[in-house]
Amino acid sequence: MRWYRADLHIHSVLSPCASLAMSPRRIVAEARRAGLDLIAICDHNAGENGKYARRLAQTPEILMGMEIQTAEEVEILALFPEEEPCLALQEELYELLPPVPNDPELFGDQLVVDEEDEIVRTIPKLLLSPVPLPLEEVVGRVRARGGLVIPAHVERVPGGLLGVLGLLPPGEWPAVEISPWARLGEALSRWPELRERRILRSSDAHYPEEIGRAWTELYAESPTFAELERAVAGRGGREIRPGPEWKEGR
Amino acid sequence: MRLKEVAERLGLEFLVTADPEAEVRGGYVSDLLSDVLAHAEAGDLWITHQRHLNVVAVAKLRGVAGVVFARGLRPGPEALRRAEEEGVNLLLSPSDAFDTAGRLHRLLLP
Repeated sequence: MRWYRADLHIHSVLSPCASLAMSPRRIVAEARRAGLDLIAICDHNAGENGKYARRLAQTPEILMGMEIQTAEEVEILALFPEEEPCLALQEELYELLPPVPNDPELFGDQLVVDEEDEIVRTIPKLLLSPVPLPLEEVVGRVRARGGLVIPAHVERVPGGLLGVLGLLPPGEWPAVEISPWARLGEALSRWPELRERRILRSSDAHYPEEIGRAWTELYAESPTFAELERAVAGRGGREIRPGPEWKEGR
Repeated sequence: MRLKEVAERLGLEFLVTADPEAEVRGGYVSDLLSDVLAHAEAGDLWITHQRHLNVVAVAKLRGVAGVVFARGLRPGPEALRRAEEEGVNLLLSPSDAFDTAGRLHRLLLP
């Protein structure tokens, strides 16, 4: 076993707030430059661009994923080993999103882009809306499809589970993500319940140059979903820990 | 002013009646529970749109006089059950948060 670098929260052009330069092809190239072994493209309530990124590379390993915003306006990462459950959940959530059309002038474009940088389609409804499902329901739907739930930038206001809900709600929260700039010591002293959890850190990159600014360290046999799950569960000597904070962000 | 009188004057409906005699000393409006934990004071009537179960735990921790869900937003059965267990007053306002807070402010600080 050895240590691998993972960044499980990267936005692409499918997120209106992300740069148009964030095509699957560019993200894979930047992830290689940054020496990442495992990544996930997690767009707001959508995961489709991950499918195209996976056609490009053996390295880094690419998981399917989404950043889902719940009715409470809490954001969670949902990670999947396969395309089908992720895309099925994306469809399910899209149906439930409020019928607010995206205004690209105001919010930015929401583009599905293939591995050759060609636009496949644009998404009409605004993805920057909460899905009208309570947190527990969203978590249940992700886990029912074999996904891994990781509350995103957990300390952040707005959007973080602890920032919005103040305390970890009842239920299973084996792992959480902290913001690129969050100080681990401060987070642990403010929320002692985090001491019992595995903590990840991601770039939450919206621009190419942000890929590599923060990462998670995974001690495992290989940089794969199965090994990530083992590390989160603390099984088989696998370990997971946040990389250093991104100091320029403070 | 007692919570039951505030409720009557503002047209609030009790969803969970734990202690209608609780003294209302002020108000706080927020949907962010971390903000409520840090800044709400004991005896505040807390007006919110946030319906997650954690509202009950945060209300209990801060010792607020009660929680008012604005704009007729009803919390789920789990939150009601937990509030009964924890002895937290939950109320419903048919008005929006601006209107509810405005009338509470006039009532307490005329």
